[in-house]
Amino acid sequence: MGRTVSRIVLWLMAALVLGPVVWTIINAFKLNVDLLTPTPKLFFNPIIDNVTYVLGRPSVLQGLINSLVICISSVAIGVVFGLPTAYAVARYPNRWTEEIQFFVLSLRFMPPVAVAIPLMLIWLGIGLYDSQIALIITYSLLTISITVWLAIPGFQRVPKEIEEAARVDGYDAYAVFFRVALPVAMRTLLGALAFSFVLVWNEFLMALMLTTSSAKTLPIVASEMSQLGMNVPWGILNAAVVLLSLPPLLLLGLLSGFMNSIFSNKSR
Amino acid sequence: MKQRQALPYTFILPTFVVLAILAFVPTIYAVIISLQDRTLSAPGADFVWFKNYLQLFGDRRFLNALWVSLKWEVITVTATMAVAIVLGILMFDATGPRMRNTLTLIFLIPVLLPRVCAAFVWKFAFHPLYGLVTYPYRALTGKTLDLLADPNAAIFAIAFVDVWQWGFFFAVIILKLLEALPPQPLEAARLDHAKGWQIHYFVSLPMLRTALISLVFVKMIESLRSFDLVYVMTRGGPGVSTETLDMYAFSQGFIESGKISYASSMAVIMMIVTLVGFTLLWKKVK
Amino acid sequence: MKTKFAGLAASTAIALIFACTNNAFAQSPICADTVHVLAQPRDGLTLLEDYRDEFKQLSGADFQIDYLNEGDRRSKSQADASTIGKYNVYYVDEGNLPLFASSGWLVPLMDHYPAAYDYADFDAGRQQTATYDGKIWFAPVLGGGDIMVYRKDLLDAAGIAPPATLDELKAAVEKLNDPAKGIYGIALRGKRGSGDNVWRWMTYFKGMGGEWFKDGKPAFNSQAAVDATNTYLDLFKYSAPGTQTGSWDEATGAFLSGQVAIIIESAPLAGMTIDPAVSQVTDKVAFLPPPAPLTGGGFAHGFAIGSKANPDKASQDCAGLFVAWSTSKENEARRLAKGQSGELNRSSIFASVEFAKTFGDALPAALAATASHTAVNFWQDARWPELGNQWGIELEELIAGTRTDVKGSLDELNAFATNLVAQ
Repeated sequence: MGRTVSRIVLWLMAALVLGPVVWTIINAFKLNVDLLTPTPKLFFNPIIDNVTYVLGRPSVLQGLINSLVICISSVAIGVVFGLPTAYAVARYPNRWTEEIQFFVLSLRFMPPVAVAIPLMLIWLGIGLYDSQIALIITYSLLTISITVWLAIPGFQRVPKEIEEAARVDGYDAYAVFFRVALPVAMRTLLGALAFSFVLVWNEFLMALMLTTSSAKTLPIVASEMSQLGMNVPWGILNAAVVLLSLPPLLLLGLLSGFMNSIFSNKSR
Repeated sequence: MKQRQALPYTFILPTFVVLAILAFVPTIYAVIISLQDRTLSAPGADFVWFKNYLQLFGDRRFLNALWVSLKWEVITVTATMAVAIVLGILMFDATGPRMRNTLTLIFLIPVLLPRVCAAFVWKFAFHPLYGLVTYPYRALTGKTLDLLADPNAAIFAIAFVDVWQWGFFFAVIILKLLEALPPQPLEAARLDHAKGWQIHYFVSLPMLRTALISLVFVKMIESLRSFDLVYVMTRGGPGVSTETLDMYAFSQGFIESGKISYASSMAVIMMIVTLVGFTLLWKKVK
Repeated sequence: MKTKFAGLAASTAIALIFACTNNAFAQSPICADTVHVLAQPRDGLTLLEDYRDEFKQLSGADFQIDYLNEGDRRSKSQADASTIGKYNVYYVDEGNLPLFASSGWLVPLMDHYPAAYDYADFDAGRQQTATYDGKIWFAPVLGGGDIMVYRKDLLDAAGIAPPATLDELKAAVEKLNDPAKGIYGIALRGKRGSGDNVWRWMTYFKGMGGEWFKDGKPAFNSQAAVDATNTYLDLFKYSAPGTQTGSWDEATGAFLSGQVAIIIESAPLAGMTIDPAVSQVTDKVAFLPPPAPLTGGGFAHGFAIGSKANPDKASQDCAGLFVAWSTSKENEARRLAKGQSGELNRSSIFASVEFAKTFGDALPAALAATASHTAVNFWQDARWPELGNQWGIELEELIAGTRTDVKGSLDELNAFATNLVAQ
C-alpha cells in the first residue's frame, strides 16, 4: 500500500521533470499563433521553421563553435593542472593537504560578479576582451578547482595494492601515476570531466560580461533570441533552448556512471 | 624514494601558483576598482576611497538586496534538502533496481540543463495567459495567475526552478548514500519492528549526518549563483522584490547607469561576507 | 510576387552596373575591411543578409552584424564605445543618442552619407529624432509615434464609441474589462526601464502638462507628475496579466492573442495586428491616434557611424555607405514586400502603391494621423537613461504595490535628479 503510493509520487515527480522538457521540445515546432493561446494546444500543424531558423543563424553557429572551443580548452587545462594535484592530494596526504583542499573549495565561494567586473577591465586593458583566450583563462579557474575536487575520490578508489605492485615492478612514482593510477581511475575521472564540461557549458554571467560578439558562447546567443523588449519569438526561443540543452544531456550516461562509482562502497 | 618525496611538490605547486594568480589578480583588482569612481561611459578614474562603501549603507536597494539574498539562501537550501531527503528515501524504500535506474537518469536531467534554459522553460510555463502551469488555474477559476508579477510569490516561483534543478540531483546523491550504508543497523532496526520512517529518522539519517551537512554546505555555495534564473525570469522585479545582490550589482554596473566602481564595491562586500561566513562554517563543521 | 521579382531584377541590374563601373575604371573599392555592425535583432536587418553580395559589389567589402537584445545592446554598445570601440556602425536610439553624440563616440552622419540615397526622404519626425545638437547622427531603421489600436467588435458590442479623450478612455477601459470572459480593458508596460514603463508613463506626464525641468531645476514632484502617475496606476487595474512586469512584448502579445480591448503602443504594433502570422485579431481591429491629451512618444532607432573604429575619412565613408545602403529605398521596398510594416521610414515608401496594396487604407491613414500627436517626451540629455531607469524602478514598485506613496516616490526621484544634475 505505502509502497504503491510512494511509487505514484515518484512517477509524478518524474513527470514533473520530463513534462516541461517534452513540452519545450513540442513548442519548438509551433508557430507563435499556436503558442500564444489561452488553452495549451496539443494538436497543431508542426513546422520546422524555428529549428531551421536557429540552425541557419550565423550567430548560432559561431556561438556553438565558441562554446565548444572554450569548453574543451578549459576542461583540458583543468585536466593538465587538476588531475596531478588531485592525485597528489589523494595519495600523499600531509598536513597541508587539508588546507589545499579548502583553498580549492574556497575559490567556489567567490561571487561570479566579483570576479567578472575586474576581469572585464583587465581583458579590456590588455586588448583581449571578447576573445576566446580570455574566456578560456577565466574558466580555467573553474575547471581546475572542480577537477581537483571531483578527481580526489576517484584516485582514492584506486586499490593501493595495484600501485604497490607496480612499484615492485620497478615503476617510479610518476610512472605509477601515468601508467597505473590514471588508467585505473579513468572511468570515474571521465565523469568528473563531464561535470566540469557541463559547468562551463552552462556558465552565463561571466560570458555575458566578458563578450560582446566574437567570443559569445551559446547560452548568451540563446538568451538573445528572446529579444527582450520587443516581440519574443517563443517558438524560436524554444528551439534554441533545445539546441543548447542537447550537449549536457548527451553526457547524461557518463555522469550517471560517475555518480554510481563515486558513491559506491565497493572499493576503498 | 626521492622521487616519491618530490612528486607532491611537482604535482601541486604549479597548480597552486596558477590558481593563486587566477584568483588573486581579479580579487585585488576588484578591491582597487571599488575604491575608485569608474564608470562605463568615461575611461578615466580617480580614487574616492570609501565613498562607495559609505554610499552603499544608505542605499535602500542594496539593503533590500542583502535581505532578498538571505531569503533566497534560506528558501532554496531548506527546500532543496527537504525535497532531496524525501525523494531519496522514497526511491530507496519503494523501488526495485530497474525503476531506480530509470528514475536516477531522469532526476539527473534538470541539473544538467543550462540554468538559462531552465529559466526560460519555466518562465513560459508560469506565463499567466499562455503557461502550462497556470492553465489549470485559468480553466477552473477563469482568472489568471501571475506568479512572477506578485511581489510575494515571485521569489518562490524562481526558487521553485532552483529546487527543480538541485532537489532531484541531491535526491539521487542521497539515494546513493543510502545504498552505500552498511545494511546491518537497518536490518536490526527492522527486526525491532521499527516503521519505515522511524528507521530513517533514527538510524540511517543520523548515520549520514556528515554527508548531509556537506550537501547543505554545497547547496549554500551553489545558491549564491542565482543570477541566471533571476536575470531571465524577473530581472529583479516586480519592483525590487527579487533583486539579489548579484542582480543589483549587475544592474548598477551594466543595465542602468554603468557605475562599475559602485557595483564592484557591492561585489567586494559580497565576497568578504561569503568568504568569512563559509570559512567559519566549514571550520566548524570539520 | 511580380513586383517582388521586378525589384529583385532591378537590384541585380544595379549591382551589376556598379560592379562593371568598378571594374571598368579600376577604382579602388570604398571599403577596405569588413564593416562591423552592432545591432538589435530586426527582421529588416536579417533580410539585409540575403543581399550581402550586393553590398560587397557596391563597397568592395562584406559586413557583419552582431545582434544583442535591447537592454544588452544599450549597455554593451556603451561599454564598447567607451573603451575599445571595435564597431564601425552602432545601432543607437533616441534615448542614448545624446550620450553617444556628446561623448564623441559617433561621427556626424551627413558628411559621409552619399547624397544619392536621399536622406530627406525619411519621415520628418524620425529625422528630427536623429538630430542632436544641430547635427544628424543616424539613419532610421524604425521609429514612429504612438497609435491606439482597439477591438471594433468589443466596442460595438458594448456600444462604446472609440475614446477620443483620456476621460473617455478611462471609462471605456473600465467598462470593457471583463476578466471572466478573458478580456482586459488595456495593456500597459510595467517593467522597469527608461524605454519601458517610463516610456509609456511619459505620455501621460507630458500630456498632462508635466515638465522635466522648470527654471533649470528638476520638477518631477509637480502636480502633473502626481496626476499622471495616479492615472497610470488606475489604468493598470485593468491591464492584462503579465503586463505588470512586462513591456512591449507582454502588452502587445496579450493584444495580439485577443485578450485586450484597447491598447496604445508604439506605431509598429499597428501593422502586426493585421499580420496573420502573429495576430489572432486581424479582422477585428481599428486604429486611431491616442486620446487627447496624450502625446505619442516619438522614437526612432537607427544606424550611426562609430568614431573609434573609423579613424580616417576613408573608413568613415565606408561606414557611411553601409548606413546609407542598409536604409535605402530599395531595402525598405524589400521589407515592404515581406510585409514588415514596422521597419519602414521613408515618405516615398508610405506613399507607394505597394504600401497601400499591402496594408489597405486604414493603417496608412491612421499612421499619418498620429504624426501630429507625436512629441519628444524624454529629457534629451546624456544622463537621461540613468534618470529614466531610476524612475523605472520606483514606478515598477508602485505598480507591484510594494510602494504606495506616489508623492513620496516622486520627491525621492526629484532628489535623485537634483543630485545627478549637480554632479
